[in-house]
Amino acid sequence: MKITRPRSRPVFDDPRTLGLLLIAPAMLAILGVVLLPMFNSLWLSFQQHDLSRPQEDAFVWLRNYADLLRDPRYLNSLQATFKFSLFSVLLELALGVAIAIILNQEFRGRGFVRGLMILPWAMPSIVNAAMWKWIYNADYGALNALLAQLHIIDHYQVWLAEPTTAMILIILANVWKETPFTVILILAALQTIPEDLYEASRVDGATEWQSFLGITLPLIMPVLMIAGLLQFIWGFQTFELIYIVTGGGPFSSTEMTNLRVYATTFRSLRFGYGAAMAYLTSLIIFIPAVVYIRSAYRKVVEV
Amino acid sequence: MKRPSLYLFVSLLLILSFVLASCAPTAVPATELPQASAPEATQSAAEAETITVIFPKHEADLSGAFESRIREFENQSGIKVELIQSDWDSVANRILPEISTGGSAYDVVEFDNGWVAEWCGAGWATPLNDFMPAGYTDGMIPGLVDLFSCPDKKVYGIVWNNDTRFFYYNAEKLAAAGFNEPPKTWDEFKQMGISAKEKDVVSYGMAPFWNQEWSLGNEFHFWTYAFGGEIVDEKGCFLFNKDPNTLAALQYMVDSMKDGVSNPAGMTYNQAASQDAFLKGDSLFMPQGIAGLMAYTKDASVSSVDGQIKVGLVPGARAGMSAALTLPEAYAIPAQSEHKEAAWKFIEFMTSRETNKALAQEIGVLPIWTDLYADADLTAKYPFWSEFQAQLSTARGLSKLTWYGDFVDISTAEVHKALAGEQTAQEALDNMASGLSQFECKP
Repeated sequence: MKITRPRSRPVFDDPRTLGLLLIAPAMLAILGVVLLPMFNSLWLSFQQHDLSRPQEDAFVWLRNYADLLRDPRYLNSLQATFKFSLFSVLLELALGVAIAIILNQEFRGRGFVRGLMILPWAMPSIVNAAMWKWIYNADYGALNALLAQLHIIDHYQVWLAEPTTAMILIILANVWKETPFTVILILAALQTIPEDLYEASRVDGATEWQSFLGITLPLIMPVLMIAGLLQFIWGFQTFELIYIVTGGGPFSSTEMTNLRVYATTFRSLRFGYGAAMAYLTSLIIFIPAVVYIRSAYRKVVEV
Repeated sequence: MKRPSLYLFVSLLLILSFVLASCAPTAVPATELPQASAPEATQSAAEAETITVIFPKHEADLSGAFESRIREFENQSGIKVELIQSDWDSVANRILPEISTGGSAYDVVEFDNGWVAEWCGAGWATPLNDFMPAGYTDGMIPGLVDLFSCPDKKVYGIVWNNDTRFFYYNAEKLAAAGFNEPPKTWDEFKQMGISAKEKDVVSYGMAPFWNQEWSLGNEFHFWTYAFGGEIVDEKGCFLFNKDPNTLAALQYMVDSMKDGVSNPAGMTYNQAASQDAFLKGDSLFMPQGIAGLMAYTKDASVSSVDGQIKVGLVPGARAGMSAALTLPEAYAIPAQSEHKEAAWKFIEFMTSRETNKALAQEIGVLPIWTDLYADADLTAKYPFWSEFQAQLSTARGLSKLTWYGDFVDISTAEVHKALAGEQTAQEALDNMASGLSQFECKP
């Protein structure tokens, strides 16, 4: 009996091989511009590499990380960043849901208002920061002028010279810029909820608030979860706003980790310590983020 | 299966091009240069030579005067200049990582006086003595040359911006407050400020730029010098936490906030905002104004004090004492530059007496050549330069420290906390010493 061997196929006829070959250029680019620098900076984080004192360069294992856990400036920046991100997220989600529900209603000029809504988010961060810097200016700022004209204050205040006020004001500036993104996500989620569900709830005598709690909120929860997580991570990445509006002051009370990494790396030229700072911060965000996603996703599935 | 084959072919081509590109030599070997007769080859090489120059925009250069001179240099020398100009921070952010990692992207760079010790220690700049003719710096203001010299006594930078700061006061408002002469001591300064405020002549004596940022480090130096204090000794050992005059300086800064001499908004002001308040007539004094401030006073869009401003000597802790801060910026040639000769030609042209005078005439740049302060054209245009000259002899630069970045980082946070009344001046200086302890001289 003659055994006929299957004809060997050209390599590109095998979908697996072809797929790998097709993604190879992209992988090569990612390797070059993302992975290699990442590994390089990880390696750097285990070294003392102070550019202005090259004679002191050494491999120090985990010393940079250990020092960071005792560094009051870094720990302070971590605390400030956490406060900033958490309150920003809470406000953005609350406002985002409220605005999205309004924009989901039928009214004249809805398209125009929706378009207008996105404007703060589309504005370059640097322009946004410069604008808020002027609004909060102690002598000529719009905030002081407005509050004085409303007779809420009797003399102009130096808002950014007091730690608590400075923190609140930069959170508000951040919320103003970032809320539209949450609105868009929630608006998209709202449009997927079938109207029948609301009609059924009305037939059953549910109030608007009960419909919101029983139908709207559970169905937009997955989107809220993603929006919250993204905004929290972006909160940790905020740089321009703080750099321009407060510079980290008053006395480092609004100094976020990004600003600390920048000052350590590019002002003090301590690249090893700066790299360790960046990695430790990433780790601090990454672990709770994973735990949060897993537990939140489980709850959503249960709902 | 034609389409997958095509994609595969393109993918492989891309990979191949990446590999080939990475293997390509960085320069064309000399043997592969097109053959030409010697003069032609020299000329084309000279024409093709391009240098990349990066330095911040001068604050008075609203008309592009520096760029005009650079284009003039191109026409005269045949060397093409790729010019990168931006604000100081952006320039610093580009230069420091590039130069410290041995990059050769720039041929002439900004060399800030705060960087001198770091650059000397790390060998990032080229000694200019290798290019400049003997005695080249003889006619320059000696302090400016010394500031950019390393311990090996060689010059590593030639100043393009003699950024010395001067004491300005609003003579009209001072007279309205009942004073005909500017203050000679800081006590008088305080008394005049409070008096003018009480008479509702101005809102505050001064609007300092004490936001927690890099320039607060400059301010700390200025006030320390103005009170006869010291920050570090010649070896870089700490004096700031032991010197009573440095403590007195910081205490004065703190008290000026409490006494109402300083505008409390100064805690959030940068230099531009501080200058803005002075030009609007809200404050009586500008203790550290830029040399080109007078030009701004004439611009009605930003100033309402034209004709009211005069220059005086910086007051001292006691009569007869004065000090100013100079923050000169120089041109330097990075050690890795591949066009050092052309870079030097650029520096030579831009810092020449002729260019320096032209820039002074055009935009009020403060000269680096001593004799230009007596130049008839310039003194006619800038009569107040006679006061400048008196102050220049008292000017001092920033501390030369290899850890200057750390010094600014820690000192600005601690000084800012003291200014806000959250800690005493002594605590601020002690905390600075503690935060910088790794740099303290070992006995």
